[in-house]
Amino acid sequence: MSLSRRDFTRAALAGTGLAATGLSTLGLLTPAQAAERLLVVQWGANWIEVSKQILAEFQKTNDTQVAWELHSGGSAAVVAKIKATWPRTQYNVLSVWDPVFRAMIAEDWLLPIDESIVTNLKTIPDQYIQKNAKGEKMTVPLSTAGAFWGYRDDLLPGGFSSLEDLLKPEFKGKLCVPYPINLTGLLIVSAAIQRGGNERNPEPGWDFIKELASKGQIGEICTSNSEYINAMATGRYSVGFWNNGGWFATAKNFPVKLKNRMPDNKGFLYNEGFCVLKGSPAKAAFEFANFFAEPKMNEIYNMPLGSGPTQPSAKANPMIADWYYTPEELPKYAYFADFAYLSSVMNEWNARWEREIVPLVRRG
Amino acid sequence: MRRPSLSTALLWPALLVMVPLLLGPLLLLAHESLKPFVGGRIGGDESGALTLQNYAQIADPQYVRYFLDTFRVGLLATAFALVLGFPVAHFIVRRAGPTMRRLMVGGLVGTLFLSIIVRVYAIAMTFGPHGPLSDFSRLFGISASSPDGAELMVVLGLLNSTLPLVALTLIGTLQNINPRLEDAALSLGAPRWKTFFQITVAMSLPGILSAAIIAYAFCISNLVVPMLVGRGFIVFVSNLIYFRFSEVANFPSGAALSMVMMVISVALFYGLLSLVRSHWQEAGK
Amino acid sequence: MKRFADALFQTAYLSLVTLFVAFSVIPVVVAVVLSFDARGFVGPFPPTQFSLRWYDRFLADSYYHDGLVTSLVLATSATFIATVVGALAAIGLHHATFRGKGLIQAALLSPLVIPNVVLGFGVLIFASRLGILDGMTRLMMGHVLITFPYVMRTTAASLVGIRASYYEAALSLGAKPLGALWQVTLPLARTGIIAGAVFGFVTSFDDVGVSLFLTDAFTFTLPVAILAQMRANLDLTIAALSVMFIVATVLIIVILDRVAGLDAITGRGVYGR
Repeated sequence: MSLSRRDFTRAALAGTGLAATGLSTLGLLTPAQAAERLLVVQWGANWIEVSKQILAEFQKTNDTQVAWELHSGGSAAVVAKIKATWPRTQYNVLSVWDPVFRAMIAEDWLLPIDESIVTNLKTIPDQYIQKNAKGEKMTVPLSTAGAFWGYRDDLLPGGFSSLEDLLKPEFKGKLCVPYPINLTGLLIVSAAIQRGGNERNPEPGWDFIKELASKGQIGEICTSNSEYINAMATGRYSVGFWNNGGWFATAKNFPVKLKNRMPDNKGFLYNEGFCVLKGSPAKAAFEFANFFAEPKMNEIYNMPLGSGPTQPSAKANPMIADWYYTPEELPKYAYFADFAYLSSVMNEWNARWEREIVPLVRRG
Repeated sequence: MRRPSLSTALLWPALLVMVPLLLGPLLLLAHESLKPFVGGRIGGDESGALTLQNYAQIADPQYVRYFLDTFRVGLLATAFALVLGFPVAHFIVRRAGPTMRRLMVGGLVGTLFLSIIVRVYAIAMTFGPHGPLSDFSRLFGISASSPDGAELMVVLGLLNSTLPLVALTLIGTLQNINPRLEDAALSLGAPRWKTFFQITVAMSLPGILSAAIIAYAFCISNLVVPMLVGRGFIVFVSNLIYFRFSEVANFPSGAALSMVMMVISVALFYGLLSLVRSHWQEAGK
Repeated sequence: MKRFADALFQTAYLSLVTLFVAFSVIPVVVAVVLSFDARGFVGPFPPTQFSLRWYDRFLADSYYHDGLVTSLVLATSATFIATVVGALAAIGLHHATFRGKGLIQAALLSPLVIPNVVLGFGVLIFASRLGILDGMTRLMMGHVLITFPYVMRTTAASLVGIRASYYEAALSLGAKPLGALWQVTLPLARTGIIAGAVFGFVTSFDDVGVSLFLTDAFTFTLPVAILAQMRANLDLTIAALSVMFIVATVLIIVILDRVAGLDAITGRGVYGR
C-alpha cells in the first residue's frame, strides 16, 4: 500500500481545491478563503446521526469541511491515541464529557474558547463550562446529562424507595450497575452519599457496594451503553444505575421510572460537549462549535439523545421531562461531582474494584 | 551440507519481518511498565525515575485470581473444543462420503466468517433468559443467573469460536495418518473404540496438541467474549489490560500486566511446544 | 461384550458429531434471524417483527463501506505477507537442525498467546516512536503480527505427519534442495498453508483488539466501525454483515468446488482416498 487512504483523501480534496480555483478565476465562483478541514470525534449511533444533520445546516453558510471519527473504545481510547503522537495529532474537535475534559485540561491540550467567535457561549450557564487553572473557559457544553438510579416498572411495580431497600433478599441478582470507571465512579459516589459520604469520603460507599456484592444483589456489571441497554432488555434485572442515554434507549421499549428524587440520595448531573485541541484551525473549529451551541441547533441536537439542552431557551424532549430538575429542585436533588478529583482517583478506584468487589460478586 | 543453509535462508524473511515488529513494541512496553503513574494523568510520567511500583501493585494476591480464571476458563473451552472437534474431523476424513465431506468442510469454513461479536450475541440470545435453550445450564447444575452461569456463557462463547479452528486443524492432521493402520487393527479383531483411542488418537497427538495450543492461545488472549457475556464477573487479564489502556489511561500498569501475562503465556506455550516436538519425533520414527 | 462396547462407542462418537454440528449451526441460524430483527434491542427470541433495517443501514452508510474496503485491503495484504513469510519459516524450521530452533519457533508463534490489546497498544507506541502516524501502515504492522503465527502454526502442523525422508529421498534422487522443496514439501504442506491463510484472513478481518488502537480518522476497519456504532446503542448491522459474508463464503466455496473441486483446497493428505 503505497497510497494510503489519507493520501488519497488529501489528493481528492486537493483536486477539488484546484477545480474551485479554476472556476473562481473564470469568475464562476465567488472567491472565498481556502476551506478549512476539521476532524471531529463523536459518539456513534444517534450522536453521529444528529450531528451530521446539524453539519449539513452549518455547511449551507460555511465552507469548512468536516470528517468524523467515532469513539470506538471508551472516550479515553482516543486520548491514548492523541497521547501517543502528541503534539502531532489529526484531531481538532472532540465530543466528550466532563471527566475527559478535566484530563485533557490537565494535559494542557486544549485551546481556550474564543468567545468572540463562540458567541453562543454567553447564554450557556457558567457552571456547565469547564475552566482551566487560569479560569479560562475551555469547553462548549452542548448537553446536560445525568446518571440516575431507576427501574423497570413492568418488572418491579411501584419500585423501591431507598437504596437501602436494594439489600433485601428479593433484589438478589436484580441489579445492573456500571463498572466503576464507566460514569467515572459515580456508582460509588452514589453509594457513599447514601451512607453519609461523598467522592472525597468514599469509604461508606465502598462498604455499601461490598454489602450489595457479597449478598449477590449485583446481577451484571456493564462497561458500555449498549451492554446496559441489552442487559435491561433481557428482563433479568429490574433495577439499574446508568446515564440518561442508557435509560432513554431502555425507556423506548419498556416502562422505565427514574429514582432521581429520593430523599436520601441524589441524581448526578454533568455536561457533554465540544472542546478544541491545540494546533487546530481555531477559527473554523470555533465557528463549528458555535453553530452547534446555537439554541435552535442545541434543541435539535439533544432531542434524540435523551439529554437536556444547555441553552436555557431550547426545549427538551418531552419524554425526559421529569428526568432533570427545575431550578428550585436543583439544590435538593442534584449533585455535581468534582470530576477533576474523580478522574484523579479513577485508576485507584478501578484497581480497588478489581481487588475488592469482583472477588465478592464472583463468589455469588 | 546444503540443507541447513537452505532452511536458514527460509527463516530469514520471517526473522526480518517479525523480530522488529515483536521486539520494538515489547521493549517499549517494558519501558512503559517501569514509569511512575500519577492518577488523573494520561500515560506514564516521562520525567519520573523508573520504578517497580506497577509490578508491586499487581503482585496483590487478588490479581492471581484473574490469571487463574483466564487460564482455567480457557482450558475448559479448549478441552470441550477438542472433545467435540476431534470426532468431527475424524468423521470428515474417514467416514463422510464426498458430498457430506464437501458440505461439512464448506460449513466449517463458512462459520469461520461469522464475526465473533455476532457469535457471542447469538449465543447470549440462545442460552439467555428468553432463549430457546435457556435451561441448558441446568444440565450442569448451574443457575443461569449465577456467576457460574456467566462462566458457562464465556466457555460457550469461546468454544463456539474455536470449534471450526480446531476441527479444520485436525482434518489436516488426520489426513496425514495412514488409514490402513486402523483398518489393520479392526481386521485383526480389535474393538472400534480401542482402535480409535490407541491408534487414531495416539497417532494424532502432535496434531491434537497443536490444535489445542491454537485454541488455548485464542481463548486466554480473548477480550470480546468475557467483555460481552462475562457480566463483569468473569474478567480476563486482557480485560484488565484493556481497561488500563483504554479507560483509565494508566499505561504503565497496563504495560506491567501485559509483561507478566506475556511471560507466563510464552513459558506455558514453550513448554507445550516442547511436548509437541518430543511426540512429533516419536511419531516420525 | 465387544459388540456392546462398539455400539456404545458408535453412539458416543455420533452424538459428539451431532452436538458439534448443532452447536456450530445454532449461532448461524440465530444470526440470520437477528439480522432481520426489527427491534433495536436484544429481546426475547425469536423476534416477532422482521425488517431489512440492518441491511439497509449497511448498504446506505458510507462509513461501513469505507471500513469494509479498509478491512478487505488490510486482511488480504497482511495475510499475503504473513502467508509467504510464515510458510517459508515453518518449512525452514521443519528441516532445521540447529540448536535454539525451539526458541525461535516459540518466539515467532508468541503473538498467538499475547493478548491482541497488548499487541495493538505496543504497535501504537512503537509506530509513533518511529514517526509512523499513518493508519494503514500501523494497521498493517499489527495485522501481519497477528496473522503470521496462524500460517506458521498450521503449516508446521500439516508437516508433522510428513517425514523428512520424503525430502531426503528427493535429494538423494538428485533433486536440487529448492526443487525438492518446491515439488515435494510445498505440495504436502499445501493444506496447512491454505488453512493458515484462511485462519489468518479471518483473524485479521474480525480483529478488534489490535485495530482499536491503530486506526486513524481516515483508516478504520469494519469491526472497529461497527463497534463504535455499537458502543452507544445496539446495532445489528454486524449480524446482517456476517450473514452476507457467510453467504459470500459459501458461494465462493461452491464455485471453487465446481471449478477445481474442494479437495484441491483442503488437499487429501498423504493417504488421500
